[in-house]
Amino acid sequence: MFGKNNRREFIKQSALASTALFIRDFLKSIALNPPGSDSNQKIPIVIQLAGGNDGLNTVVPYTNDLYYKGRPDLGLTKDSIISLNDSTGLNSSLQGLADLYNESHLTIINSVGYPNPNRSHFRSTDIWQSASDANQYLNTGWVGRVLDSNCPANCSKPWHALEIDDTLSLALKGEQVKGIAFRHPGSLQGSVANPIVRGAVAGFKENQDDKSNLQFLYKSLAETAECAEYIRQHSNKYKSTKAYPQHEFGNQMKIVAELINSGCESKIYYVSLSGFDTHVLQRNQQDKHLKIYSDAVKSLTEDLKATDRFKDTLILTFSEFGRRVAQNSGKGTDHGTANVVFVAGGNLKKPGFYNVNPNLEKLESGDLIHQIDFRNVYSTVLDKWLGADADKVLGKNFERLGFL
Amino acid sequence: MVSNKVKLQHLFLRAGFGESPARIKSLESNSIDSVVDSLFTDSAISKDLDYISDPLHGRDDEEISSAKIVLLILKSRKQLMELNLKWLDQMSSTKAVLREKMTFFWHNHFATSAPFGYPMQNQNNMFRKNALGKFSDLLKLVAKDPSMIIYLNNQQNTKDAPNENFAREVMELFTLGEGHYTEKDIKEAARAFTGWKVDKTGRYEFNDRKHDFGEKEFFGQKGNFNGEEILSIILKEKQTASFIVKKIWREFVSEVEDQNLISTLADQFYQSDYSIADLLKTIYKSDWFYDEKYIGCKISSPTELLVRYKRLIHAKFKTDKTVFDIQKVLGQMLFFPPNVAGWKGGKNWIDSASLTLRLNLANVIIKGEGLNIKPKPEFEDMMEIMPAKSTYNDIEYDFSQVIEPFKNQKDILLTEVILDSFIQCKKDKINKNLLMPSGTGITETDKISTIIMNLMLLPEFQLI
Repeated sequence: MFGKNNRREFIKQSALASTALFIRDFLKSIALNPPGSDSNQKIPIVIQLAGGNDGLNTVVPYTNDLYYKGRPDLGLTKDSIISLNDSTGLNSSLQGLADLYNESHLTIINSVGYPNPNRSHFRSTDIWQSASDANQYLNTGWVGRVLDSNCPANCSKPWHALEIDDTLSLALKGEQVKGIAFRHPGSLQGSVANPIVRGAVAGFKENQDDKSNLQFLYKSLAETAECAEYIRQHSNKYKSTKAYPQHEFGNQMKIVAELINSGCESKIYYVSLSGFDTHVLQRNQQDKHLKIYSDAVKSLTEDLKATDRFKDTLILTFSEFGRRVAQNSGKGTDHGTANVVFVAGGNLKKPGFYNVNPNLEKLESGDLIHQIDFRNVYSTVLDKWLGADADKVLGKNFERLGFL
Repeated sequence: MVSNKVKLQHLFLRAGFGESPARIKSLESNSIDSVVDSLFTDSAISKDLDYISDPLHGRDDEEISSAKIVLLILKSRKQLMELNLKWLDQMSSTKAVLREKMTFFWHNHFATSAPFGYPMQNQNNMFRKNALGKFSDLLKLVAKDPSMIIYLNNQQNTKDAPNENFAREVMELFTLGEGHYTEKDIKEAARAFTGWKVDKTGRYEFNDRKHDFGEKEFFGQKGNFNGEEILSIILKEKQTASFIVKKIWREFVSEVEDQNLISTLADQFYQSDYSIADLLKTIYKSDWFYDEKYIGCKISSPTELLVRYKRLIHAKFKTDKTVFDIQKVLGQMLFFPPNVAGWKGGKNWIDSASLTLRLNLANVIIKGEGLNIKPKPEFEDMMEIMPAKSTYNDIEYDFSQVIEPFKNQKDILLTEVILDSFIQCKKDKINKNLLMPSGTGITETDKISTIIMNLMLLPEFQLI
C-alpha cells in the first residue's frame, strides 16, 4: 500500500501531533507589546522597480530636444504627460505620485547611480542591495547590516526588517540577523505548522557557547516560528478599506499598510515590482506597471494618513539601473545606468526636485553619467531617518543629502 | 568511536551525493582505503553532458562567418535552464559521483554567470574532464574558455584599451586570494591577456593585432609575458596552492580550518604540480577526515539536498518549473551563480524562507503539499520560457528501495537504526516519539517509510 505515491495514506498516518501545546509555549515565550507602543518609530519602505525602469519616460524632460532626438517613437510629448514645471513632467500613469508632489510629499532625485555601472540585472541589483562598489562582492545587505549593528548586546529581531515576498533579498541579510520574508502573514505560520517542524522548534534551547551549524539551524527555525507568531499578532488589528490595484504588488503594499497600522514594530519594509525590462514595445508595458506602482503607493499613503503614520514614513523607490537614452529598433530601450529615485513621505526637507534634470549632452557610450551615488541616498536615510550609524553600515562615509 | 557505517556515509556525502542505505550496508565490511580507491575507479571515465547540440553543425562557411551566428550561440538562456535539469539528473544517476561532485565544485569556483547555452555546456564538460586532473591545466583552460572570456570582459581587453576584469578575478577569486598581489600586477597581467578573445563561431582565438607584446613587470619579474606565462607565474606562487586547498577544505571537510593540516596539504598539492586527485585521495584516506567533529557538520547546498532526494527516494519532478522554483527559493540555480565569486555557502544558505522550504521539502515531494511559492518574477527575457503555474502534485517518488535494509528489525530499535542511516550529526535534540506513525495495524513497510519521511523534516537532515 505504501509503495509509490500513496499520498492519502501518508497524510492519514502522520496524523497531527499535539500542536496545540507548542503554540501555547510560543505565546508564553513572546513578550507582547501592545500595538502602537512605539508609534513614533520612523519607517522606511523600500520599493525596487525590478528590471530597470526607464527613468527618462518616468520623469520626462519635455523641453529637451536631445530627448526626442534619441526617442523618435518613444518620446512622450508635453500634452501626454503630467507637467510638474516648465521643463519636466511625470508619465501620465503616475497620477498618484503627482498628487504627492503637489502636497510636497515627494522628492525627485535625478541621475542616481554608481561608478563603473554594471548592466546585468542580477549584478546591479546585488550592488544596490549590498551597497557595494561595482567590483566588490558582499554577502550582506545594507538593511541586514542595520539589523546587525546592535549585536551581540542587543540584536535586532528578524521581524525588524520585513520583505513581502517568498524569497528574502540580499538587502535584508545581515551576518548575525536576517530579516524575514513572507507573501502573506499566514504563509509564515503555515511554513512552521508541520508537527515534526514544531517538535524541532520546541527542542531548541538557547546556548551561546554552541557554535555548531546544528544549533544555528535550530535557532533560525525557532526565530522563524517566533516571528510567525509575532506577525500573526501584529497584522490583523487594522484592516484596510482602501482600493489597491488588483495585482500582486497591490496586495503586498496593502499588507505593508496593515502591518504598520496594526502596530508591527518592523523598522523597514521591502517590496519589489517586476516588469520594467522593456526591450521591446516599451510604452504600454511601462505605463501599465508604473500605474500599478503609483496607485499602490497612493493607497498606502492614504492608509497611513488615516492613522497619522504617514509623517513617520519614507517610501524610497529605486531601480537597479535606468535605460539607454536612445530607443532601440524594437521601440524599446536597453539596459542603461543612472536613474531617478523617488522619495515620498510626510516629513520631507526638500520636496520637489532635489537636483537638475539628467544631462543628455554628456553621455558615456550612450548612457547617463551618474551625479549622485545611491549610497549618498542610503546614508541620508540611515543617518537622518533611522538614526543608524551610516558610516559603519556602508563601510565608509557618504555625504548626507538635504532631502531629510 | 565512529562506526565504519558512519564513516562510509560521511565519505559518500562529502565525496559524492550520499549513498543508499543498501549500498552502505553492502560496503560495511570493506576498508575505507579500498572504498576510496573504488570511488576513483568509478570516476575514471568522464561522461559529457551532450544535451545542447553544436549550433554550427551543418552550417556552411558563409553562414558561420556572418556575425549572426554569435547571437545564435549566445542567446540561449532557455537551453541553459534545461541543461540545469539534465545536470541534476546526471548527478542523481551517475556512478562517477566523485567526478560529478568535483565538477560541481569547479562550477562554483570558476563561477560564470553567462546565459550562453552551448558554450556553457562545453565549459561544464571541460570542468568534468579535468575535475580530478591538474588544477594548473584547469586554470589555463578556463582562461581560454569562451563563456569566461565574454563574462569577464576579456573580449574588450585590447592593447589600446586594456580591461582588467579577468586579470583581477583570476588572481582574487581563482588563484591567490585578496591581498596577495598588487594593483600593478593586475594592470600588467591585463596587458598579457589582451587579444585573448572569442571568434564569430564562439571559439577561443588569439588576435595578435589586439595583443600587447611589450615588456611587463609581474610579481617582480620583467619579460614580454603572454597570458600563459602570467598563469605560470601565478602557479609558481605557493599561495595559489594554499588558497585552493583552503577552499577545498572548507567545502569537503569543515568550515572550521585546521591550519596545520591545511598547510601540509598545500605543500603536497604544490609538490604534486596541483594534482587534484592526489589531494582528494589524501584527504579521504586520512584518519582525521573521519574525526567526529567533521562528521555531519556541514549545511548541505540546495543542489546536494535535491540530489539526495533524487537518489534516496527517486524524486522526479514532472514540471520543470517546480525544480526552478525550489532552486530559486533555496538560493542555488545551477548555471546561474549570483556573481563571479560564486555561491558563498555555509550559513549563507539559510534564511527564514529557504530554511522552511528545506524542512518542508519532504512534504512537498511526498505529500504533494503545495507550498504555493512564487519566487520573484524573472526579468522579461526569461518570462517567455516559464509556464505560468507550477503545481506540486506532479512529483513522483519511490520508497521501495530505500526501506529494504530496515525490514525485519526489532520494533524497539527501528527508529534508532533508521536515524543512524540518514542523520550524521548529534541526535540528542530529536524527539523520536514524533517520528513514529500513530495508530494501529500499520504494516512494516508503511512504518519504515513514515519514519524516513518524518526524519527528512528534521533540521538534522540538512547537515551532511
